[in-house]
Amino acid sequence: MPTSLLQGTLDVLILKVLALEPLHGLGISRRIAQVTAGTFEVKPGSLFPALHRMEEAGWLAAAWGETESGRRAKFYRLTRVGRRQLQAETEQWTRIAAAMAQALESS
Amino acid sequence: MALRHRLKYLWLNLAHKRQAEEDLAREIDSYRELLEEENLRAGDPPDEARRNALLELGGAAQIQEEVRDARTGAGLDALGAELRQSLRGLRRNPSLALLGILMLGLGIGAGTVVFSIFHAALVEAMPFHDPARLVELWETRRDAGFDHASFTEANFWDLRSQTRAFEEVATYHYDESNLTGAGQPEKVSSSLVSTNFFRTLGVAPVLGRDFVSDDDRPGVANRPIVLGYRYWQRRFGGDRAVLGRTLRLDDRACVVVGVLPPGEPWINDQIYVPFGHRPNADRGSFEFAVVGRMAPGVSAGAARADLARVAALLEQAYPKEDKSIGFHFEPASTWIASASTRRALVVLLSAVGFLMLIACINLANLLLARGTARRREIAVRVALGAGRARLIRFVMMEALLLSLCGAGLGLALAYGSLRTIRSLEFLGIPRLEHAGLNPWVLGFAALIALATGILSGLLPALRAPVTAISPVLRDSDRQAAGRGQGRLRSALVASEVALSFLLLVGAGLLIRSFGQLLTVNRGFQTENRLMFTVNLPGPYFEKGMSKYFVDRLSERLQSSPQVIAVGAVNQRPVEGGDPGMGIDAPTERRAPPWAGWRVVSPGYFQAVGLALIRGRLFDENDKPVWPEPGQPKPVRRVIISQRLANLIFPNLDPVGRHVLLWKSQSGGDAEVIGVVADSRERGLAAGPALTVYLPYGRNAVPSEFVVHTRGNPMALARTVRSMVSEIDPQLPVSDVRTFEEVVNRSVAPQRFDAILLGIFSGLALLLAMTGIYGVLSYSMGRRTAEIGLRVALGANRASILWMAVTQGMRPALAGAAAGAIGAWWLSRYFQTLLFEVKPVDGVTYAVVAVLLLATALAACAVPGRRAMRIDPAVALRTE
Repeated sequence: MPTSLLQGTLDVLILKVLALEPLHGLGISRRIAQVTAGTFEVKPGSLFPALHRMEEAGWLAAAWGETESGRRAKFYRLTRVGRRQLQAETEQWTRIAAAMAQALESS
Repeated sequence: MALRHRLKYLWLNLAHKRQAEEDLAREIDSYRELLEEENLRAGDPPDEARRNALLELGGAAQIQEEVRDARTGAGLDALGAELRQSLRGLRRNPSLALLGILMLGLGIGAGTVVFSIFHAALVEAMPFHDPARLVELWETRRDAGFDHASFTEANFWDLRSQTRAFEEVATYHYDESNLTGAGQPEKVSSSLVSTNFFRTLGVAPVLGRDFVSDDDRPGVANRPIVLGYRYWQRRFGGDRAVLGRTLRLDDRACVVVGVLPPGEPWINDQIYVPFGHRPNADRGSFEFAVVGRMAPGVSAGAARADLARVAALLEQAYPKEDKSIGFHFEPASTWIASASTRRALVVLLSAVGFLMLIACINLANLLLARGTARRREIAVRVALGAGRARLIRFVMMEALLLSLCGAGLGLALAYGSLRTIRSLEFLGIPRLEHAGLNPWVLGFAALIALATGILSGLLPALRAPVTAISPVLRDSDRQAAGRGQGRLRSALVASEVALSFLLLVGAGLLIRSFGQLLTVNRGFQTENRLMFTVNLPGPYFEKGMSKYFVDRLSERLQSSPQVIAVGAVNQRPVEGGDPGMGIDAPTERRAPPWAGWRVVSPGYFQAVGLALIRGRLFDENDKPVWPEPGQPKPVRRVIISQRLANLIFPNLDPVGRHVLLWKSQSGGDAEVIGVVADSRERGLAAGPALTVYLPYGRNAVPSEFVVHTRGNPMALARTVRSMVSEIDPQLPVSDVRTFEEVVNRSVAPQRFDAILLGIFSGLALLLAMTGIYGVLSYSMGRRTAEIGLRVALGANRASILWMAVTQGMRPALAGAAAGAIGAWWLSRYFQTLLFEVKPVDGVTYAVVAVLLLATALAACAVPGRRAMRIDPAVALRTE
């Protein structure tokens, strides 16, 4: 069940999947689908604006490279600022998730 | 850190835009290739792999567009692009652009002019230190019922020494003298001021020194004087060597010790002479203007209490002269603009606001119509990925661009009209010469340009058709724009008409009021009357020389064939001052009526055209009411105006009866020998004055002349000058004007208001007309096919015309009705500006309604006729 992404969810997901290794656009999209067990399906229409926005914010750095099959693609990796951002957002998400879970259970 | 990144990308995105775009395109393309590869690997046949990749990617252009929007500086970048698009759009439609710029330009120009006048008169600070503590003071007399009297000399000095609430209290007494010893003799304003006057106001001389407390000693040989800045510039060309120069004022030597900074009020185009305390100061004559500076931290209430305390002391000390005395003060903010000037300027400013609103509505209407015409273009943009926000910005940009150009035009118009208006010094608008395009005014113009841009762009932008793309592209139904749009535009037109109605009613009321003002019974006659002033210097008043002069000049003038009558008076009507006295029957116990007094020569009544109603006029045997030193008390005879006669002697013949002059002050019995018609001495709007006329004589010499001429009065001006200089070449003749001009100047502010409001409402009418026309012709154009069908089915032409006209007139009628209600509601703010016209004046409303509806009808005529002539065959084919 592909769900529309919550505002801000996409950023933290991109940061998370890039924390492991640099990826190109399609790679990011597929990895997100994979780690969320298909809950989130990122369309290029949302992915590209997010990538560029985050690159301009200094969280990501991009460089052209080659895929395993030898095609040229733009690879994104996390910068130091990006790592800090991921940490901060992770903490925030955990807090929110816990709070939400508690709120929903208690009623 | 983040900022550095931002700046870097801002630079990259803006300066290396093409590179960034190409890079993005490559990236999206590579994404597509990777997708295709993935699909191939999953076993799709090549064709399908490619198709599925494209499907999953979605529109590449749209993605690019969204990335562009996400980028740093996207706003700026888009702005530039939209600006270029808007410019192109406007160039393609120059008539719309011109019309829009013209409408907004007129609105903004008018707004700028009125604002700069408003700003100069009401907002700009006075050139005084801490003006919040400055007040002007008046004497009041509870029993006589006057509350705005100038001070008597003695009361001023007493107040000054007794008050505790005021840091300084100073006086100013307007005076004129003959300046000699510096070229041409000249009559100058040479006001007497107490030496602390400038200190009280808080101005320091720009040159030389202020008066010091010693300067006011009586009989000082070289009296120190201070020059006003303008006078210094005008007479001495701003020469700094003027300090220490000796001038002769009324033949007394004076030395210039200082020059004041420029400014208004109080300090301006004149000379200041120090005025000191005199032991025999008069307590009966109200002549001195008084200003005060409150001590720091003293509230208005505390000041009032302090003044009441001083008044009580004075009443105790001088029970006769200062009976029921009190003091009244008003803040310095009233010095520049009186309450009525204020009200008039506020009305003008709101009127111009209405006008600008109408211009905005009109432009909005035009843009709406065009938006509809461009639905295809916009639909294509939407299909190509333009978002709603982008579209709104795009339409907005167009309106802003128009208003910006309009502001340019408006500023040019304002510059020109302000130059013209400033040259009309007699308009009576305070500090008019300061009105100009200063930074405040420019800021205001920029602000209203922005506001008009946003206002006129808002509706069209929000109505930009973003949805329902396919029907538009198919171009099948013209009705798609729908009734909604038509209704919106009709509503806009209705509101335009309503606002125009307001303006027209305002202008109509002012014009009618101005007409009333001009035709009101003045008492005096202004046709063929010349007025001039001969300022007689001090020495003339010794040994009756001045009376001799007045008599000789009158005789000579009288002998001229162009002259019908000659008279002299101490204060000229309308323009002059208004000295007054309490006057009543000796036996009356009530508070006496307050009447202006005028010293007149026997010929004055004929010269000024005041009719004798009862009794007789003065002759040479009537002597002044003031006793001459060493002479027996004169037999006092006076003439009174009709209203005054009715007030003192209701239902009695006043001739031969006695009155008390200066009642409750110095007193003095006099016989009434005649009654003359009422005269509007204090201006046309002020109502008929109560006046008592006193005969002239050796110690009461009037120097304002009125000459009733045959033919053009100004033709006599040269004769007057040569006659005066034949008697004494040292005597200056000044203020030579026809009486007509004097009266016209006095009503210049009302005329200015009426004309300005008239122009504004005329523009409003024009705008409303184009609005009605635009909407109706648009709607008729849309209904061409329908009308063609009606005609084909047998509808006659008259009924088509009727249909068109009723459709066009509906918003006009609704607007007129709303406007009438609005005008009625606003009328209360108008009351004080009107003269003998009720703010809800049926005639004005009716005329405005007829004018507005006739204009609307004319605006409907053209589209109506066009609709009537629609050829059904052609009309149906175009569909």
